[in-house]
Amino acid sequence: MSVVEPQGGSQAQVGTVEPAAALDVRDLEVTFHRRGRDLPVLKGVTLRIEPGEAYGLVGESGCGKTTLAMAALRYLAGNGTVDAGKVLVEGRDVSTLSKEALRKWRGEAVAMVYQDPAAALSPAMRIGDQVAEVFRYHEGLPKAEALKRAREGLRRVALPDPDATMRRYPFELSGGQQQRVVIAMALAVNPHLLVLDEPTTGLDATVEAEILDLIEELRGRIHASILLITHNLGLVARLCERVGVLYAGRLVEEGPAREIFTDPRHPYTMGLLRCVPKFGMNKTDAALQTIPGTLPALGEPLEGCVYSARCPMAKPVCTRREPDLYGWPGDGGPTGRAEAEAMPADPAAYSPHHASPVGESARHARCYFSAEVAEMPHMTPVLATSLEARGATAGDVLQIGDLSRTFKDGRKKLTAVSDVSLNLRRGETFGLVGESGSGKTTLAKCVTGLIAPDSGTVTFEGNQLRATAGRRSQDALRAIQMVFQNPDSTLNPAWSTRAILTRAVRKLGSGGSVRAKVDKLSADVRVEPRFLAQKPTDLSGGQKQRIAIARAFAGDPTLVVCDEPASALDVSVQASILNLLVELQTNEQVSYVFISHDLAVVRYISDRIGVMYLAELIEVGSAEEVFNPPHHPYTEALLSSIPKLQFEDEQQRIPLRGTMPSLSEPPSGCRFHTRCHRFLGDICVEQEPPLQEPAHGHTYKCHIPPQELLAAQATTEAVTPTGG
Amino acid sequence: MARLIGRRLLLMVPTLILVSILVFALAEVLPGDLGRSILGPYASQSAVVQLDHKLGLNKPIYVRYVEWAGHFVTGQWGTSYQYGQSVFSIVTHALGNSLLLAGFALVIIVPTSILVGVFAGLRRDSLLDRAITVSSLSMTVIPEFVSGVVLIVIFAVTLHWLPVTATPPQGSPFVDRFYYLILPAIPLMLLELGYIARMARVGTVQVLDMAYIRTAVLKGLPMRRVVFGHVLRNALVPTVTVIGSQVGWLIGGLVVVETLFVYPGIGNYAVNAALNHDQPLLEACVLVIAVLYMIANLVADIVVALLNPRIRKAG
Amino acid sequence: MAATGATPDRQMEELQADAAASAEQRRQRRFIISSLFRTPTFLVGLAVVVFWITMALFSTHVTQSPTTPSGAILSAPDGSHWFGTDDLGRDVFARTMAGARTVLIIAPLATVLALLWGAIVGLVAGFYRGLTDDIIMRIVDAFLALPIIITSILIISLLGRSYAILILVIGALFTPVVSRTIRSAVIGEREREYVMAARLRGERSAFVMAREILPNITQPIIVEGTVRLGYAVFTAATLSFLGFGLEPPSPDWGLVIATERGVLQSSPWVVLFPALALASLVVAVNLMADGLTSVFSK
Repeated sequence: MSVVEPQGGSQAQVGTVEPAAALDVRDLEVTFHRRGRDLPVLKGVTLRIEPGEAYGLVGESGCGKTTLAMAALRYLAGNGTVDAGKVLVEGRDVSTLSKEALRKWRGEAVAMVYQDPAAALSPAMRIGDQVAEVFRYHEGLPKAEALKRAREGLRRVALPDPDATMRRYPFELSGGQQQRVVIAMALAVNPHLLVLDEPTTGLDATVEAEILDLIEELRGRIHASILLITHNLGLVARLCERVGVLYAGRLVEEGPAREIFTDPRHPYTMGLLRCVPKFGMNKTDAALQTIPGTLPALGEPLEGCVYSARCPMAKPVCTRREPDLYGWPGDGGPTGRAEAEAMPADPAAYSPHHASPVGESARHARCYFSAEVAEMPHMTPVLATSLEARGATAGDVLQIGDLSRTFKDGRKKLTAVSDVSLNLRRGETFGLVGESGSGKTTLAKCVTGLIAPDSGTVTFEGNQLRATAGRRSQDALRAIQMVFQNPDSTLNPAWSTRAILTRAVRKLGSGGSVRAKVDKLSADVRVEPRFLAQKPTDLSGGQKQRIAIARAFAGDPTLVVCDEPASALDVSVQASILNLLVELQTNEQVSYVFISHDLAVVRYISDRIGVMYLAELIEVGSAEEVFNPPHHPYTEALLSSIPKLQFEDEQQRIPLRGTMPSLSEPPSGCRFHTRCHRFLGDICVEQEPPLQEPAHGHTYKCHIPPQELLAAQATTEAVTPTGG
Repeated sequence: MARLIGRRLLLMVPTLILVSILVFALAEVLPGDLGRSILGPYASQSAVVQLDHKLGLNKPIYVRYVEWAGHFVTGQWGTSYQYGQSVFSIVTHALGNSLLLAGFALVIIVPTSILVGVFAGLRRDSLLDRAITVSSLSMTVIPEFVSGVVLIVIFAVTLHWLPVTATPPQGSPFVDRFYYLILPAIPLMLLELGYIARMARVGTVQVLDMAYIRTAVLKGLPMRRVVFGHVLRNALVPTVTVIGSQVGWLIGGLVVVETLFVYPGIGNYAVNAALNHDQPLLEACVLVIAVLYMIANLVADIVVALLNPRIRKAG
Repeated sequence: MAATGATPDRQMEELQADAAASAEQRRQRRFIISSLFRTPTFLVGLAVVVFWITMALFSTHVTQSPTTPSGAILSAPDGSHWFGTDDLGRDVFARTMAGARTVLIIAPLATVLALLWGAIVGLVAGFYRGLTDDIIMRIVDAFLALPIIITSILIISLLGRSYAILILVIGALFTPVVSRTIRSAVIGEREREYVMAARLRGERSAFVMAREILPNITQPIIVEGTVRLGYAVFTAATLSFLGFGLEPPSPDWGLVIATERGVLQSSPWVVLFPALALASLVVAVNLMADGLTSVFSK
């Protein structure tokens, strides 16, 4: 137990020892100063994490969650200042620590795990030395002893072969292994508070699941409190007891995770939950709810409630005065509604009779009308029509036959795509799923002609296409277009938006007024004309992606390849992009090849799905078929690794053994056999698996026949619910 | 590692061949009539033709090149038109002198400028940093003859602290040479100080912004360890790369300094050979200098590979 | 869906939008310029450069003659001759001020040439990569292996000394370095998605290089240009010092320092002032380059 500090003015008495909170943030205000402007990032945030508790802080980009962590560690960037409030860790005010005390305290009291593990490790120092450093400089151990402790630490995080790993350099490890090392360093000297800042963003789904397993397992043994910072609600649901929702630098809702996710009481939380596709949901079931508007820019002054500009329930009082954090359900203190009704026309004249947060309840929400959040009005965007209505039975529009492509890396040959065949019908969306190294992006580039395949054919509307885009006819180019992943580099920053669209129409269009077409395109993607005169850097991420979509549609394409089009966007913006794609498909009867690592999104938007593993297409079928048994064991494991928000069905996690094999040495026989939890034996090692066909149009590559697989999988998997 | 060195050495060969072609073309082909340019515009045509014939200029170009290259590789560098001595002996003697001067300057200035640059980078945007940045920037760009002249005026002419010439009188002990080399070495040092310190500073600043430095600090490591263990090793990579390519400017500086102080180094000989159309000497000097430059870059590459495990392992 | 077609309201809206956009661009340019003017090193450099440009253009109208003797031989600085006189009795002040002309003609023109040629080479090598890139870079490496001063000496000794030759030679010898910088900038841009989008439109390579990539690498080009300018001044001066610049009686600084070296010990002012003048110009150009670099990197 650490030093007891008097809290809230109460006297500390001998004999009554109140454990200090692991993290106690009080009314924290942080401002960044950039180019002469003051940008407030955190505006009075108060939260508490008790010892041993796991607290999730969620929010989208720019909400200030990382800034909070940096303030807690007293590592704000040079231009950031703490204007008000305090941060206490275990009762000690962080700002009062001397330099030497701060140094010791970092690592022993608080430790951090970062978003990009490759960047977080020192590239020119061996793993063993980096981990041993913590022991050397915190416990004063000599080098040999420190290395021994480092080895133990690596074993604790389940790294295979710690001795060999100690001698390696960071770039020789996989992403998952690197993150384990970072965790090992953080836990080295048993910190009391562990801060995790987006620890699994950028990692593959299966790797993410492993890391989460590790963290859960370690929790049982380390007695540290955890602050998990993320935008991924599923992660929080899995790991944390309490959650706080941050929007524009303000805490808008806080409470036990289970309650908040099943019964949100702030419009933003409700909006977030609604715009994420529920697992098992498809576009023909329901459209995604979106949060209109955009995230407020950093430093933008906001009148009244920070969320009012986007809130479907906003009333005049919301813009007059910002609500306090009211307890939910009522706890005897003033409720939001009561305050709203008592509000005079001039908010300056109103003085609340309480401190914030109000009341002693476990939950709080910063809204006057929490009681009405459950009935928050839905939006009614366009729903997707059925496959038939989209003309999807009218024959194949794209046929890929035995496509292969290898790359040379030094002297090694990497097989990126290996004998992939698939068909796509008109108006249909084919979702392509796979983890990093599966080959999905390479396949997409071969289809569009950005890369020439080594062998195999791509046939479009009956004609075989030439390998590279440079040699295809203008007609073929117009018909097959692509939407890319990164909104910041997808549009040429030196051109105006109008110029970008105009050029696309000129090159891909088929006559008629160019200007009229540009206007129509921007209207179709809901980008107002006034933005057309601006350069891409002045547009938001969502707008840029919309223009990119408009550009792809400039020539009325038949097929658009979408390579992770929404992955780089915030959750609230993602939904609107997905809805836009669905709407365009309905109106223009265009086919999509939709690539994503996010399985829920793929399930939502795809009619048919293909799963890729290590350059092979191991399963193809309708979305419903692929996501339910019988399906390939890899698909099975992939689905089980997604952290879901549903609390009712506790699906069993299927951990995968080992790591992803290297593309230069794919395993013999069935490529998945090294990690398969349904490994049969020698047959899997020696023989290439045959194509099994449980239903017409549904195939997978495995030695286990469908009936057996169905029987085995039906017992371990709960039936996934369809619909929200 | 050995594979890396081997590969780099192998890659040097085509570059070397290209360089030799360039030198040959510039020295022997470009002048047009070499005999004419040696004898000058007033010599008779028949004398020119005779000289041309003697020099073997009537043979086809590629034959001449192959002969010339062959001679060069076997050490037959011909005889100097100016001095009548074997070019080989002149060049080796001059090279020794130049290496002494350059080595003296580098040994002092390379570690100093790295430390200065890293120091400035650690105190980024402070007054000290701005002062160091601006002054090192200024020192880099001042031509060596300018700084040399100013130094001579101050230290040799006015204060009489240092000698005006660069070579001690005959028969002096070897150590004396360094005393005489101080003044010529300073312009070289100033040139390199500015450039190396700036690169070290830039390298340091870039590294300080990296995520792994944040990890190191938040691990609770003392600043001393962060700098020496994490910053330095990575900041040195761009610095060392640049030192290698800087040798080109150092050589130019050597030429100027040797001319200004009348020091019998390879640069001085090269200038005089060019002025007097002493082709054999000129070609030999230029090629030797080019080889030196390539070796310096190779050494820099090796040091970078030692510092950066990613490059080392890729081979 | 919004109505299309040019109704008066829409035209108004678009005009306003265009105006807003160009106002935004002007604001951004003004921001860069005002940042520059707030950088003291840039301002100092600019002031000195402007001073020397003025001198290069007008000095002969205000000073005594730089070529005809006007006083006693080798007299020390005094009231009538601020910088003293040289070994032919010419006013050193006048010669020093006029000496700026040669450098300020040769260096900028050589730099422009180097940028032009270097951009072409860098764009082609960086865009096409593969074999083209390998071959071009081998050649570039070969040229880079030849130290500039030495090679210039070699060439100039054969071709003669004139403004044109100096400009061409320095420009040509700086091209490899410039092409390297531009090539790496191009390589950075060419993997961007907007380049891929251009290829999917069927744009020709020349179009992609010139209209898509080039506008996005203007900043590194400008920075490289100003840095090269400093080196060009340096090189031009050094060459004339070594005897490969212009002929006497040009008051070119390098030439003066070289020829007047003999009187260094007895009459240092003859050499000192041109030396300081040259130093000031070179430093000033580089201060400007430094200022630009730091403003662009913010």
